[in-house]
Amino acid sequence: MKRLQDFRPGDTFELVRTADRYLPIYYAAVSGDFNPIHIDRDVARAAGFPDAILQGMCTMAWVADACSAYFGDPVRVRRLRVRFSRPVIVGDRVTLRGRCSAVEGPVVKVELEALNQRGEEVLKGASAEAVF
Amino acid sequence: MAIDTRHVGRRYGPFRTTVCGERIRDFSVAVSGGTPGFFGTATGEGAHPWTVDEEAARRSPHGGLVAPPTFGVTFAMQPFALACADPEIGLDLVRLLHAEQEFEYGAAVRPGDVLTTTGEVVEVRSKGSLDFLVVRSETYNQAGEQVLVGRWTAVVRG
Repeated sequence: MKRLQDFRPGDTFELVRTADRYLPIYYAAVSGDFNPIHIDRDVARAAGFPDAILQGMCTMAWVADACSAYFGDPVRVRRLRVRFSRPVIVGDRVTLRGRCSAVEGPVVKVELEALNQRGEEVLKGASAEAVF
Repeated sequence: MAIDTRHVGRRYGPFRTTVCGERIRDFSVAVSGGTPGFFGTATGEGAHPWTVDEEAARRSPHGGLVAPPTFGVTFAMQPFALACADPEIGLDLVRLLHAEQEFEYGAAVRPGDVLTTTGEVVEVRSKGSLDFLVVRSETYNQAGEQVLVGRWTAVVRG
């Protein structure tokens, strides 16, 4: 169990995840989001993408996993925020890097970036807060 | 075409969901790169053990499985999904993407919880050729505690 004094501004953490061909289908099954743009390559292409795109909420789940590991407890998370700036395409590998930006009273604040294998940001303004 | 601002205030729900431990586990397994369902034995790297491992969760301060932070998609997304597909609003689903998401958390979500969600269109705006629609959701558990407030933003590319 981590305690408040275990967190320091400047702490960093990282998580790497890959959107393999099955992930958007599995994520559809567990989330309920079966929008065809996520599971049908032809529909995604008709919408102007090179292949099926991952549900943004799955990318956000990666952010949540990275933060839950850093905070030590998923229930400590009080706030999560992301902007989906670029779609994650099937085959993409995303590196999430978090950094503790502040510890204010009982609140630990984190900012994150998420880059695909070409170094492009797939999220902007990603942040999380936990209360201890 | 800009979204008509008269849709602000449009409400959806209430929707009721009973939280299932297997669904929590499958969610964390899938997100972390494992296979949900019958063949799902292994999780990928980085799934929090208290969301997938009954035994580890029992020994945790929570005494049992808890939902990971974005599990709210399973019980709180319905107002947003319905607004996006609402024929009265008339968004073009092929050109629609999830643009932004924000969650504020209250009480933990556990297996057996009965959750009630309502949602409302709270904002409609345009920026260049992009049209945005924002739905705010609120979810309460069976004890009347707030568990989640969501702010769901869709963008329709012009």
